[in-house]
Amino acid sequence: MGEPLLETRGITRRYGGVTALAPLDLVINRGERVALTGPNGAGKTTLLALLAGVGTPGGGDIRWVGDASRSVGWVPQRPALYPRLTVRENLRLFAGLERVDDAVATADRLITRADLGEFADRRANVLSTGTLQRLNLAIALAGAPALLLLDEPTGTLSPDQRVRLWAWMDDLVRTDGMTLVFSTQSMDEAARSSDRMLVLARGRLAHDGPAGAIDEAAFMTLVEEAP
Amino acid sequence: MRALRAGRLLFTKDLRVLVRSRGLLAVLIGYPIVIGILLALALSGGDRRPAIAFVNLDATSGRTVQVGDERLSMEDYATSLEEHVDLVRLDPAAAEEALSAGRVSAVLTVPKGFIADLQSGLKPPVLQLATNPRSPIEAQAIERNLESAIFRLNQELATAYVTQVLNLVDLIQKGGTIGIFGRSGTLMGLDDSNRMLAQVQAQLRRDGRGALATRLEPLRVYISEIGGNLELAKPAAQAIASPIRLDIRDGAPGREPLSALGIAGALVVGIGLVGVLLAAALLSAEREDRVLSRLGRGLAGPGTIIGQKAVLAAVACMIVGVVLLGVVAVSTSVEVGRWLLWLPALLLAGLASGAFGLLVGALARETRTALLAGLMLALPLAVISLIPGNDIAYWASALAGFGPAARTFQGLLVDPEVTSSTYSGMGIMAVVAVVYGVAARVALGRRMHA
Repeated sequence: MGEPLLETRGITRRYGGVTALAPLDLVINRGERVALTGPNGAGKTTLLALLAGVGTPGGGDIRWVGDASRSVGWVPQRPALYPRLTVRENLRLFAGLERVDDAVATADRLITRADLGEFADRRANVLSTGTLQRLNLAIALAGAPALLLLDEPTGTLSPDQRVRLWAWMDDLVRTDGMTLVFSTQSMDEAARSSDRMLVLARGRLAHDGPAGAIDEAAFMTLVEEAP
Repeated sequence: MRALRAGRLLFTKDLRVLVRSRGLLAVLIGYPIVIGILLALALSGGDRRPAIAFVNLDATSGRTVQVGDERLSMEDYATSLEEHVDLVRLDPAAAEEALSAGRVSAVLTVPKGFIADLQSGLKPPVLQLATNPRSPIEAQAIERNLESAIFRLNQELATAYVTQVLNLVDLIQKGGTIGIFGRSGTLMGLDDSNRMLAQVQAQLRRDGRGALATRLEPLRVYISEIGGNLELAKPAAQAIASPIRLDIRDGAPGREPLSALGIAGALVVGIGLVGVLLAAALLSAEREDRVLSRLGRGLAGPGTIIGQKAVLAAVACMIVGVVLLGVVAVSTSVEVGRWLLWLPALLLAGLASGAFGLLVGALARETRTALLAGLMLALPLAVISLIPGNDIAYWASALAGFGPAARTFQGLLVDPEVTSSTYSGMGIMAVVAVVYGVAARVALGRRMHA
């Protein structure tokens, strides 16, 4: 297990009168692949968004360890990009906003790495779902993040697109030493593609253990017994 | 520095997206320009003649007034007014009902004793005009029409009266035939009197009665001086008849003049709609494209996004304003100058309406809602900003900066000197831009970090 990269201490979030996240303590280690699962409304997206800095916790704090603070790539569930710009223009724009030294070179490198060369000069609004998700992920990598947060990245993908996406994610962890935290509705995907599995239920952390340590029956028990 | 760089990148992105969205661009910029031009033409009035109820309370008197060789009645007066407006002859109750129902634009009443006053010359006769307070723009146009008609009629009457007086002066000087109460007689005149007195004096001197002739000399001098003074009074009387003459000439063909109100209206509606709709669409599109969550993670803060979009909207408004003014300068007789004031005025109007649109865009959930809400809010405010002389309309439309913009534009078009109201209008636009800009920034910040 790597060194701690990020810690949360008692972070909470409420939307109106609804508790989305109860006080939650968590440590994410460097180079880990962490799967975050749980039923709908369990707080998975809320937790990822708070880690990404998209929202502000109602209470508690998030502490980055070492010099990797704020170096986060955020892949929202639905692609967050400009549909009327081309693939290349989107990547150059976000690389520029990430203040990389050479946005043009960064965009070209990401196009190659995400296997988007064929679509580089096409507008995003004509891309297929799988290609669009690759672009969504490539944009998140523009700032060369240490931590990549993905909200249900394979939810809309076909089986072959899922395989290709996870192959790319594995490469990022192996080659770049990146840390992954992703949410998923699939226990199989969580078991297959992660080192560690977190189960959230009603805004609380119901389980934190190695991937594959619990089966579906145990998962159901955790969810149903959550306070 | 980081914010400037991010703002520049997003500005360029917005321009690129706009150029690629030709349909949207046509709606956001073409539509306001077309509406603005149509409004300018409508406000300029064209050749439309307003319908005015004519109530003659002096008709039963049957009196007429002698003007020179002519005898005028109230009907003659009405006929001359009809050259400028469409008169509908009604009784007082029907006229009031027609005005209330909007079938006529005003009621012109001739009070009892009008002709008597005109004839006596002791006090000026007064016509009464009632306009519909619900149509202040039309009321102002009617007042101008009638003032013009009455001025011309007064001038004709004054000229006739003076001609009559000059004829009498001629009669006193040179003598002639005079008619009084249907009977005529011969008047000798000052010239003949002077000549006759000189002959009498000469005869007296010849008869050795020089002393008597000398005693008559002051009378002859007196008659001579009266004649001389009456001669001097003629040009003065001519000057009183028409101290200033208006020489009306047709303009060059093909250059139809628009009124300042019409041009200001075109600018306010054009710039107002471009600013509001463009800014609202640009900001709500960021939300619809779901990129706010990415940008909000330190890539571009709400202040940067609001700032770059406000600048883009203001620049677009300034270009639209310059194009509209260019059209006015080329196709009408209005001379457009003061460009050093026009440019900041257009820019501030664009910033104010753009900031208003940004607040709408920050609050709306999607682009279509933002555009609809922007149009529904901006169009009526822009139109009421053109109601002249109404403080409520001015301050209501100032909510989006339109009222001050309209006054500033009219001032730049017609005021002989740039007045403090022009600068205060620009100041109010700047304040409106800052207030809405800050409000839009707060609303966007909440959206980005919700």
